[in-house]
Amino acid sequence: MAGTLPDIAMMHSDALIARAREGDKNAQGKLVQLWYKRIYNFAYKFFFDHDLAMEAAQKTFISMHRNIEGLQEVTRFRSWLYTIAVNYCREEVRKKKANRSVSLHELRPGENEESYRWEASSNRGENPEKQLRQTELSDLLQQCLMELSDEQREVVIMKEYEGLKFREIAETLQISENTVKSRMYYGLDGLKKILESKNITKETIGYEL
Amino acid sequence: MNYKPDEATLISYLYGELDAKETEKVLNYLNQNPEELKNLQQLMDVRNVLKHTEDKEVIAPPIFMDQASDASRFWHTNYFRTIMSIAASFLLLLVAARLIGPEISYSKGELRISFNGAAPVEQIQVQPSTSGLTPNDVQEMINTSLVKNNELISTEWERNNNKLQATLRTNLATNSAKIDDLMKVASQASQDQVRTFVAGLQEDNLRLMKDYLQLSAKDQKVYVENLLVDFSKYLQEQRKQDLTLFQTRMSSIEKNTDQFKQETEQILASIISSPESTFKKVNNY
Repeated sequence: MAGTLPDIAMMHSDALIARAREGDKNAQGKLVQLWYKRIYNFAYKFFFDHDLAMEAAQKTFISMHRNIEGLQEVTRFRSWLYTIAVNYCREEVRKKKANRSVSLHELRPGENEESYRWEASSNRGENPEKQLRQTELSDLLQQCLMELSDEQREVVIMKEYEGLKFREIAETLQISENTVKSRMYYGLDGLKKILESKNITKETIGYEL
Repeated sequence: MNYKPDEATLISYLYGELDAKETEKVLNYLNQNPEELKNLQQLMDVRNVLKHTEDKEVIAPPIFMDQASDASRFWHTNYFRTIMSIAASFLLLLVAARLIGPEISYSKGELRISFNGAAPVEQIQVQPSTSGLTPNDVQEMINTSLVKNNELISTEWERNNNKLQATLRTNLATNSAKIDDLMKVASQASQDQVRTFVAGLQEDNLRLMKDYLQLSAKDQKVYVENLLVDFSKYLQEQRKQDLTLFQTRMSSIEKNTDQFKQETEQILASIISSPESTFKKVNNY
């Protein structure tokens, strides 16, 4: 995780969490502002779908608002929040499997979204062409992630993108640390094969960018 | 050295989460197993590639945290609502009562609520209580009343009894009169009438017997005749059958006799024709 100001604030938000737990609505609002991007991005990488990610993120924070008073330890806020997020993500997956419908948007992902994606990118000041390639690569990697099983994907995202410790992931998923590590190993191994099949290597990426 | 780290240990090594001792062990193992080292390096490359995935920028949507809930909580409590509803009902009642014009008065231990003007208060004249009654007087009064009551009951009982007796007598008289009438009718029947009746009975019986006998004699005659006819028929039939049997037997005997005669003749003829062989046979035996 990049060490941006909000990230640093997130890391040192114990006092804010304590206040939120005591029912301080402002503190709860600030927590939402601080954590929304992380939870949204976790859900987005899990679904590779903006709408589902928004849905899961909103439900997570509504649930946080309702249940934060029952949070036992302030230090466990992060794993507690990700537990809620993971549960909602899994619920959405179940719903999706039950519906078995495919939106038109999913049929041709990314089409007609170039402008939006460029505008939405964080580094608009840079070379637009490079930025576009970066976005394409990002989507390509995201597609590779989607080929993993749900269990491996959630572990890889939590470790690689959300920076959770193995202990925290184990707490979040309520499984043993060894199981987390094992899933991580097989997740990375699976990704290696997927990337090879798509001819994505460190060298090709360097050439592209 | 048989040490082989499992996947969990390798992943911990990859993320630098192993202690120094374990790290050394893994390093030694990797030095001796270049394929495993290569595999780990590839996994590290995968990690480096994954870093090229960008975070999406998103603005947190406004989530309303229900700030005013504390203020409004008091108004939404059930207790408050109950009390307010009772108060409102009471107020309504009072307003209605005021419009109707009630009069509420309390005097001499009675509460009076009236509408549309005060009701005339009835003056109830309470009789002064009779004083000076002693227990003896009361006992005497009770006794007197009991005596009166007893007299009344006995009079009633006597009257009922008389009525019952009178009814019984009347019924008895009626019934005896009826029996007497019947007896009279029975005694009035004359000797001749009785004789005629008996004679009539005897005649009827005789006639019945005659008819019966005549009828039975006829039937018997017919029956015997039929019996005789049947018997004679039976005898004739039997005779015929016997004759047939006899004839058959006779013819059978006749046949046998003829056959015997023929056989004898044949034997004699054979004896006569070959006397030598016959003698030989006889001698052999």
